Amino acid sequence: MKYELVVGLETHVELATKTKIFCGCTTAFGGAPNTHCCPICTGQPGTLPVLNKRVIEYGIRAGLATHCSINTVTHLDRKNYCYPDLPKAYQISQFDKPLCYNGYVELESGKRIRIKRIHVEEDAGKLVHERGYTFVDYNRGGVPLIEIVAEPDVSSPEEAREYVERLQQIMRYVGVSDCRMQEGSMRCDINISVREAGTTAFTTRTEIKNMNSVNFMEKAIAYEFERQKEVYSSGGKIEQATLRYDEHTGETYPMRTKEDAQDYRYFPEPDILTVNIPESYIESVKASLPELPLEKLRRYTAELGIPEANARLIVKYKAVADYFEKAVSLGASARRAANMIVGNIYASIATEDEKEKFQIAVSAEEFAKLIRLTDEGKINTTMAQITLGKLLENGGAVEDYISMEELAGMGEDDLRRICEEAIAASPKAVTDFKAGKEKAISAMFGYVKRATQGKADIRKAEAIIRSLLQ
Amino acid sequence: MVTREEIKTLAKLAKLDFDDARCEAFEGEFAEIIAFADTINCEISGDNDTINEVGGRAEDIMDLREDEVRPSLDNEKITSNVESENGYFPVRRVVK
Repeated sequence: MKYELVVGLETHVELATKTKIFCGCTTAFGGAPNTHCCPICTGQPGTLPVLNKRVIEYGIRAGLATHCSINTVTHLDRKNYCYPDLPKAYQISQFDKPLCYNGYVELESGKRIRIKRIHVEEDAGKLVHERGYTFVDYNRGGVPLIEIVAEPDVSSPEEAREYVERLQQIMRYVGVSDCRMQEGSMRCDINISVREAGTTAFTTRTEIKNMNSVNFMEKAIAYEFERQKEVYSSGGKIEQATLRYDEHTGETYPMRTKEDAQDYRYFPEPDILTVNIPESYIESVKASLPELPLEKLRRYTAELGIPEANARLIVKYKAVADYFEKAVSLGASARRAANMIVGNIYASIATEDEKEKFQIAVSAEEFAKLIRLTDEGKINTTMAQITLGKLLENGGAVEDYISMEELAGMGEDDLRRICEEAIAASPKAVTDFKAGKEKAISAMFGYVKRATQGKADIRKAEAIIRSLLQ
Repeated sequence: MVTREEIKTLAKLAKLDFDDARCEAFEGEFAEIIAFADTINCEISGDNDTINEVGGRAEDIMDLREDEVRPSLDNEKITSNVESENGYFPVRRVVK
């Protein structure tokens, strides 16, 4: 029998607000334990939560960027569960009126992964289990999250990866989160089931919680697909269960079964008022959204004529795309700028994180200047690359490395003059060339190179020499 | 009507240890509690929007709190009611 994979993803994204969702404590990552806390986020009796405006704004941004509709009346709900990471013994979340609903994320193939809802909620504290105790740090408690719930439209581990990476890219583009999986500011719960290919009914699913690496997520899904197929093939049944993925063995293990399922007793949060969001507000947020990554990718390839591989590598990081676009707006040719970013600048950057930040020593202005000089044939590609290398290392301006005389010397007239000199200085080569020895011309290139210290465009020089010799 | 099984499930979720006698007593008490909730249901429609309209309990997004950091409490103060360890709140181990 042929089987197919059905995957639904729930993604938690920490919002990049300055303060927590219900109090003015900082959301900064790390810090000594329990130093970003106050009576509100530690759930002291008698305190009242006060909703952070930016949380709603960022939630709406995330929703609009994923083509969601926005609820113009939204409220928060109380989700009850008892665990030490939650000092109030309930989490303030959203139940029946999520902020956003009915959206989608488009994959490069054009396939859409539908988004059922996006709701806002508070993060829980961090637990450290040691020496027979559990130690609680509430610094993360109350940090705002959005939970993005996708419909089970993903049908391969690769699609799951693409979906999560696209989501990550979109959230970074619209500035609502840094989505650092290793720091836990983006985590995924994955629901996995397997059914006979071609059928549409859903089968029993298992859930793997809190995946914080795209690589491991892809492997976990692939493993669970194989495992479930094997169970079905041998006539067995899949038990609904929460699983843990062991990164070392590459296998999944049961954490708890359905019998322990919680009854969260959701009810409207009485301590927070319902929020009205006027249409005009939603429109203003929509107007402030930047061009999204997939649209950008399509524009770069179709309109700017950039090869797809390069375009993808530039669009991947918003800071790089901004840099690239600034250089192009200053007159640099798009293809050459893209080539040099991917081929030369990236080679000087060690980590993904640094590419994400893209704080390099060369300003977009200087980069554009360098590309323009190359476009105009005033310097050749080698010279441009050498200069870019120096700029990347030491900063400064293009003129610090290429003198104006050198640049001026490379003008059309000067190159012609140098070519004439080359011809005059190589009588034997000229005779040989005229006698039909093609290769003799290279002696004259050698002269031009020496005379210009390698800065001349040799193809141009060749054209000039050939026309002079005719 | 609340069944004995439902009471047992709720007791388990609420981490309460109910024996049979307590369950039996609770069946009656529960019926009274639910009857009272029904009285409230008669007063209002049960629809959240209606409740909010009735109480005027809605606010505009622009009236929400600005995202401005305020000082947190010192660790000493925040943990003053417990014997903290390295700044943490220690509790009985919750995982095996």
